[in-house]
Amino acid sequence: MDLSQAIRDKARELLETGAVKCVIGYETGTDGINARPAFIYEAAEVDRLIFDETCGHNLATYLLHHRAENIAVVVKPCDSRAINLLHGEHQIERDKVYIIGVVCPGVVGRQWGVKGRQLLPACQACTDRNPVVYDYLVGEPVAEGAPAPAPPLPEVEDLERMPPEERCQFWRREFERCIRCYACRQACPGCQCTECFVERLEPEWVGIRIDAPQNWMWHTIRAFHLAGRCIECQACRRACPVDIRLDLLNHKLAWEVAQLFNFRPGMTAEALFPLATFVRDEKLGVGEWASS
Amino acid sequence: MARIGVFICHCGSNIAGTVDIPRVVAEAQKLPMVVHAEDNEYTCSEVGQRSLREAIQEHRLNRVVIGACSPRMHENTFRNTVASAGLNPYLLEMANLREHASWVHGDQREAATVKAIDLIRAAVAKVARAQPLFARQIGVTKRALVIGGGIAGIQCALDIANAGFEVVLVERTPSIGGRMAQLDKTFPTLDCSACILTPKMVEVGQHPRIRLLTYAEVKEVRGFVGNFEADILQKARHVDHDKCLGCGICWQKCPARAPSEFDMGVGQRTAIYIPFAQAVPGKPVIDREHCRYQQYLEWQRAGAEGKKPPECRICEKLCPVGAIDWEQRDEMITEEFGAIVVATGYKTFDHSVYGEYGGGRYPDVITSLQLERLMSASGPTLGEVTRPSDGQPPKTVVFISCVGSRDDSVGRPYCSKVCCMYLAKQSIMLKEHDPEVQSYIFYIDIRAGGKNYEEFVRRAQEEAGTVYIRGRVSKTYPEKGKLIVWGEDSLMGRPVQIAADLVVLATGIEPSEGAIELAQTLHISYDVHSFLVEAHPKLRPVETMTDGVFLAGTAMGPMDIPDSVAQGSAAAAKVCGLLSKDTLALEPMVANVNAVKCVGCLLCQQVCPFKAIDTETLRDGRIVVRINEGLCKGCGLCVSACRPGAMNLRGFSNEQLLAQVKALTR
Repeated sequence: MDLSQAIRDKARELLETGAVKCVIGYETGTDGINARPAFIYEAAEVDRLIFDETCGHNLATYLLHHRAENIAVVVKPCDSRAINLLHGEHQIERDKVYIIGVVCPGVVGRQWGVKGRQLLPACQACTDRNPVVYDYLVGEPVAEGAPAPAPPLPEVEDLERMPPEERCQFWRREFERCIRCYACRQACPGCQCTECFVERLEPEWVGIRIDAPQNWMWHTIRAFHLAGRCIECQACRRACPVDIRLDLLNHKLAWEVAQLFNFRPGMTAEALFPLATFVRDEKLGVGEWASS
Repeated sequence: MARIGVFICHCGSNIAGTVDIPRVVAEAQKLPMVVHAEDNEYTCSEVGQRSLREAIQEHRLNRVVIGACSPRMHENTFRNTVASAGLNPYLLEMANLREHASWVHGDQREAATVKAIDLIRAAVAKVARAQPLFARQIGVTKRALVIGGGIAGIQCALDIANAGFEVVLVERTPSIGGRMAQLDKTFPTLDCSACILTPKMVEVGQHPRIRLLTYAEVKEVRGFVGNFEADILQKARHVDHDKCLGCGICWQKCPARAPSEFDMGVGQRTAIYIPFAQAVPGKPVIDREHCRYQQYLEWQRAGAEGKKPPECRICEKLCPVGAIDWEQRDEMITEEFGAIVVATGYKTFDHSVYGEYGGGRYPDVITSLQLERLMSASGPTLGEVTRPSDGQPPKTVVFISCVGSRDDSVGRPYCSKVCCMYLAKQSIMLKEHDPEVQSYIFYIDIRAGGKNYEEFVRRAQEEAGTVYIRGRVSKTYPEKGKLIVWGEDSLMGRPVQIAADLVVLATGIEPSEGAIELAQTLHISYDVHSFLVEAHPKLRPVETMTDGVFLAGTAMGPMDIPDSVAQGSAAAAKVCGLLSKDTLALEPMVANVNAVKCVGCLLCQQVCPFKAIDTETLRDGRIVVRINEGLCKGCGLCVSACRPGAMNLRGFSNEQLLAQVKALTR
């Protein structure tokens, strides 16, 4: 069945029975090509909902703003891991969220008025096609082996091979562009703080001036706050207006955590965060791949 | 506006011999907010402290920095001094000029002086941002929980109760008495173990301030020193102990049989039973697994197929007071306590890993605790030692020591401490039972440190004629009704072969089943062998790192009866000291939460090693954390884990520490 139609049918049923107050999904954006988030409150509106390869947004993030109501949300596999993350960090109540999981073909890069053809690099490398948590599944589940760590992105490997000065230059060029709009933070399901460290005055971790050293500080601390938590949904990368390669920074840390602790965040809601726990038989860098 | 006074201590020549004190004082005077700086020969002396008090009053100081020794040494001294001058004691900061400067840079006067100035500058920056702190007082529940009814727990409960406090003594098995009740005689005096133990057991059973909960287990403990709350599972006995008179007709007539745990499997008991004749309470429990009526009910529940088992219920028919209660269920009891003593004791090592000794394969290879039951006059053979295989009295007995002790290859590198002595005792007792018995003991070393212990081993060798062979056993096998023991006499350097009637394995000591789970719920630490760990091996031997939780007996490591009793009494003294207070002052240097910033991710709860973080729901539905100040030790892990920066540590706030770092890296 058509994915869009399946989502519409389910959304209609949920809204008509009053099971949820709102369905968060995708609709066609103003350029007529690329998708944008849609918040559907009326059953009559469900035909606006679509699903295609332009549906990049991680809609799980919006749950942070709708904690009081019963909400249905359309999620791709990586977004479903965000739901586990939010649940595990007690940011959402699982029984208030109805998860419409979509078997994901991967999403394309976006450009105004242009239909993207190329899958995102992360989607090309991605092996998770089925959502890890859902109440209703749209699409035929793809047979998958045991979840295995994707190899590090080739670009991260290239960076690793650079001499330190060159790598430093690379990041300086990236961070110099930052205008500190904080769109990366707003799009991120892992950024839940009511007061972000960047806005703290006592102590003042990041200066108010927008220049390379301060920007550097901002992105480094944020990356560390996400180490072992980032589910690599690419929302920050997508949100960045100056195209900073935050995906590489986060991927590096996620890869380190996966190697050291056999851990991928968001695979279950009950997982203990490796950087907050000590397991007695923890062997650094050795062992079977485990999803929790 | 802070008015800071700086006091530099010479510590005799300890600091003044290396650090240029006048220069440090001069530099201190230039620091912001410092209104007074002076030096003293010994700031901790009466003269030094008076000078400190006078300066506080004369210069209207509201913050104090003392550059002297480690705060571990004299912080409390100076807090009291500062408080006696009218200042809040937490508006004091110590700079460690001795351990951190003069002692470690003894030959570099210039470097040590510069470092001393840096340390003073950092301390001034920190104290300028200090807030007055006030210790909170909490009440104390004047009741103690003792977990484990062996000799250590019994002694502890009696001492606490005799001091006037209420005690709840929880024992997992149907009777108190523990391992000591299983022993025949005690070394080195050869007192009858039961004879000296049972009066204490009876005293516990009858004590007006001791509530005895047998056949019960502590499942969960919450709270903190002075205010614990414990969930205790009372297992169903199916006998109403309020009605039961302990007449014994039920266990005399019960037709079901099971191996007796108390007799270590060498004897049998009935399904409704008391573990041994002098048990306290002397009222039975029904073992559901072996009871015929329970088996019948099980058969009914399973669909009632095949041959109908007997319905039995003989105990119910014979009971003169109708005490049998089939409806009884496991019950959770929740009680409050001010202090907890863990005296969970030991079990013996599983000897089956040593295939060469033949334990478990040949019936005449038994453990020392089984021999103890065979020798006991109240044991299954009424004190007559016989071979399990044919019931004949053994004439040649071989003892093998260190079975599961001092052997790294089985993960037991430690010495079990009591085995050398009980082997000597058992060989003496065998000789007394039957003068024809010849005992051989294979040993590694003889450990007989203790009052009259060495003499006792001598007695075994000289009076009982026990042959001590230094060496290990390599093989044991049956031949013509005998057990052939192959070993090595390492002193003579030759192999030994003995045809034995009975082989006794001196199995070592290891912690009881469930000790780790209990330690985890109590949040006390245990070592790699799962023995519980004391707060300090020399100076705080019965305390734990968790306030209000104490240890006694072999739960902590191998020890003999006198040591266990001494520890029971020692733990009781600690408990009484705690319970005699009406209130406890809580350390104010603990974490606190800014609920506005807290996002309720509960990461702090995961990292807190003291279970000191609870949650609360605010009126707007937000869930935030709350610090339990009774449990918080001020370690600061939550502060570093908190992404939104909602956590702070009183006395070590982020602002103070960063100001300190800034001053140091100026």
